[in-house]
Amino acid sequence: MGILHAVLVAPFVDIASNPRFLAEVLIGGVASGLMYSLVALGFVLIFKASGVFNFAQGVMVLFAALNLVGLMDLGVPVPVALVLTMAIMVALAFAIERVVLRPLVNQEHIILFMATIGLNFFLEGFGEMIWGANVKKLDVGIPDRSFITAGIQMNQLELIAAVTAGILVAVLAVFFQRTRIGRALRAVADDHEAALSIGIPLKTIWVVVWSVAGLVAIVAGIMWGAKSGVQFSLSLIALKALPVLILGGFTSVPGAIVGGLIIGVGEKIGEVYWGPLVGGAIENWFAYVVALAFLLFRPQGLYGERIIERV
Amino acid sequence: MIYREAGQFKSTYASDQAIFPITQDRVVVLLAVAAAFLVPPLFANEYWLQAILIPFLVYALAALGLNLLTGYAGQLSLGTGGFMAVGAYSAFKLSTAFPWLNIILVFLLSGLIAALVGIVFGIPSLRIKGFYLAVATLASQFFLIWLFNKVPWFVNYASSGTITAPGRTVLGVMVTGPNATAAARYVVALSFVVVFALLAKNLVRGRVGRSWMAIRDRDIAAEIIGVRPLRTKLLAFAISSFYCGIAGAELVFLFLGSAETLAFDITQSFLVLFMVIVGGLGSVLGSILGAAFIIVVPIFLTNVPHTLGIALSVALLKQIELMVFGGLILFFLIVEPHGLARLWQIGKEKLRLWPFPH
Amino acid sequence: MTGAPAARPLLEVDGISVAFGAVQALQRVSMEVGRGEIVAIIGPNGAGKTSLINVVSGFYHPYEGRILFDGQNRTDFKPYDVAALGIARTFQNVALFKGMTVLDNIMTGRLLKMRGSFVLDALYWGPAKRQELAHRAFVEKIIDFLEIQAIRKTVAARLPYGLQKRVELARALAAEPALLLLDEPMAGMNIEEKEDMCRFILDVHDEFGTTIALVEHDMSVVMDVSDRVVVLDYGRKIAEGTPDEVRKDPAVIDAYLGVPHE
Repeated sequence: MGILHAVLVAPFVDIASNPRFLAEVLIGGVASGLMYSLVALGFVLIFKASGVFNFAQGVMVLFAALNLVGLMDLGVPVPVALVLTMAIMVALAFAIERVVLRPLVNQEHIILFMATIGLNFFLEGFGEMIWGANVKKLDVGIPDRSFITAGIQMNQLELIAAVTAGILVAVLAVFFQRTRIGRALRAVADDHEAALSIGIPLKTIWVVVWSVAGLVAIVAGIMWGAKSGVQFSLSLIALKALPVLILGGFTSVPGAIVGGLIIGVGEKIGEVYWGPLVGGAIENWFAYVVALAFLLFRPQGLYGERIIERV
Repeated sequence: MIYREAGQFKSTYASDQAIFPITQDRVVVLLAVAAAFLVPPLFANEYWLQAILIPFLVYALAALGLNLLTGYAGQLSLGTGGFMAVGAYSAFKLSTAFPWLNIILVFLLSGLIAALVGIVFGIPSLRIKGFYLAVATLASQFFLIWLFNKVPWFVNYASSGTITAPGRTVLGVMVTGPNATAAARYVVALSFVVVFALLAKNLVRGRVGRSWMAIRDRDIAAEIIGVRPLRTKLLAFAISSFYCGIAGAELVFLFLGSAETLAFDITQSFLVLFMVIVGGLGSVLGSILGAAFIIVVPIFLTNVPHTLGIALSVALLKQIELMVFGGLILFFLIVEPHGLARLWQIGKEKLRLWPFPH
Repeated sequence: MTGAPAARPLLEVDGISVAFGAVQALQRVSMEVGRGEIVAIIGPNGAGKTSLINVVSGFYHPYEGRILFDGQNRTDFKPYDVAALGIARTFQNVALFKGMTVLDNIMTGRLLKMRGSFVLDALYWGPAKRQELAHRAFVEKIIDFLEIQAIRKTVAARLPYGLQKRVELARALAAEPALLLLDEPMAGMNIEEKEDMCRFILDVHDEFGTTIALVEHDMSVVMDVSDRVVVLDYGRKIAEGTPDEVRKDPAVIDAYLGVPHE
């Protein structure tokens, strides 16, 4: 009886009793949710455009951040460092297309997925080998002060992250729906060989897409790095982005945002109000269990398309 | 000249269905197994046994388990570490609660417990497939590790949070705990691998293996010809978790001596997945080859620069290791997606023709 | 089939309708397949022929109508229950298990007849071993019958298309079905392969008395092989009868056959 009360009643009482605190928790959830969304966006881009489930997206975020910080530490001014990092990510896109995607173009998706797992480990080792494995502080000049509005404490950095994410989403959504390249990308995602046969330049498309994903990775890297420092655990964030993708669907740009928000907010609320009941650290598994529960009822996610199997 | 099938005719289906239809194969394998039981315990030094052979055998068992689930039944799982943890912690609780229980029996029971947990986490596989299932298995991985971290009962309330294998004997010989010799632990691990590899081979070449592969290759057609998907998939999860559970128990009892949840985290799941990919999905031999390969690579990487006189920092070695692992995965997926097992098969086919080119 | 008292048809499809969203695949289709008959289902592309087969195999479920097998209502059966009834089928796009050998593929057809516990299977001992060998012997008979001995250990993915279709037929036969559903068994074959396949289908019918329903486009095959023909168009049945009757039916000529050019 006591347990039922503790689980089903007390937390809600807590929630209702302090609206200001709840608002702060929600904002914190939205902020971390948006961070997840930024990473998930990279996934969605690549999946939408090439059908490849890029497990290495998180490590790309880490890699982008490592390069940026490393360059800045070497004394390179911020704008130049940004441009150089972008160039590095484009070079990475070329390399991935040449070494990983082209040889595997006819293989099943599961093989490509496993290749990205291999890529994940390779980039992790490579990035750390070049720039070192200690935590670095990333400061690109984004203000990080807290301020109080309407009695609620907020953080400038998180606000900027939210706005940036919103802009990115809008731009990407327009890109996919309205432009010629966007259409071509969607064709490629559907069927590589068919796209090839109607003359879509697969190689170029892939380099474009992975470069854009690299750009998104840089943005995500900056946000995450500014918030918690650039370190190995950034690549584990990628794993958290997976439940986001499940909720939002693998091919939906707005879905990545909505999914990220749901996961971010859900996690925070779960941790703050229910966490103490079980000793905390619910955040370790909450997102995955939510994704699992979701999958049981809607295997294609919130925004994904229902797959009708044909025989 | 030596490796020929000429003159070996099969007059019964039984002989055609045998695991090693070619006599030379059978002889070589029996000799190899006999050698494995006799040579290392008598001749190998402590380092070889402790650092190479025992972990190889432990992970070979885990790789076998994962291969049955992912390679044969086509259910991608990133939760291997979690299931190994279930086996390890069950073995710890059982052997400390019932010290009189034979340790082999403890391992088997731990496997059963892991199998039950595997069934529970396998239930979603009926509705969820492919990458989605992989993500769902992450739920099991993270949840189980969190559980073992949070609930002190699992570590018998030890403040260090680690579990330590108590000393237990089999037939009078100490096989676990600080007083067990590496040779004794090696023999136990080897016995498990030999027995369970044989059982796995029997399973996959018969009714069960065929229903798994049918689900893997075309699950809809499989259902239409009469395979019951839920039953088949749950059996795969159960048996796979059984193997991984025992491997987890062995990891603590026969290899590490003591462990905490870190030994079973997501990195372990990836490690075993790598073994299966490199060794060959859908191959019993592949699981074993893959485990050997992945165990040997870091040893190789640590020792080669050393013998060449180049001193590398520990951190750098770890980074090179990551790069080599990643690179190997890519290499195998591009060059030979069926892994070492296929390379082995090609090698044997070339050997059959030798010295002729074709 | 003449003169005998009207036995209950093996398969009765009664007013079946199937829709996918806005697409009406089948609209109140009714037909029967008598015991030991060979019935051909023909019609233009998109007429609903494969959908009809899919409904009978339990893969789709109709929103109205019934399916009776051997007099029993089987409308809502799941695919594996339908298979257990004794209905086997082949698929329009070959659905072999690509990673398995031909022998293993055909053995999967025997899965319904295999009982046993996985524990005994793992030991490959006693009843498990005996069962495996007995089924192997049966499958070998089918392999002989369809003349595919040479490829029994080949991995299915490596086979040419015509042979793949034959192996699929073997897999369906392995289940010892009472009703065999063949979805375009000759699609994509050349003349010789078609003749072989025709011969095999007739042999199966003669040898085992299997009732057969096949979807087919090649009219000469249909004329030669079938006892009766059912014609579908846009999800509806537009004609039914002996091959000769159907060939002369104006509705069929309009929708599908056309007239020979002068």
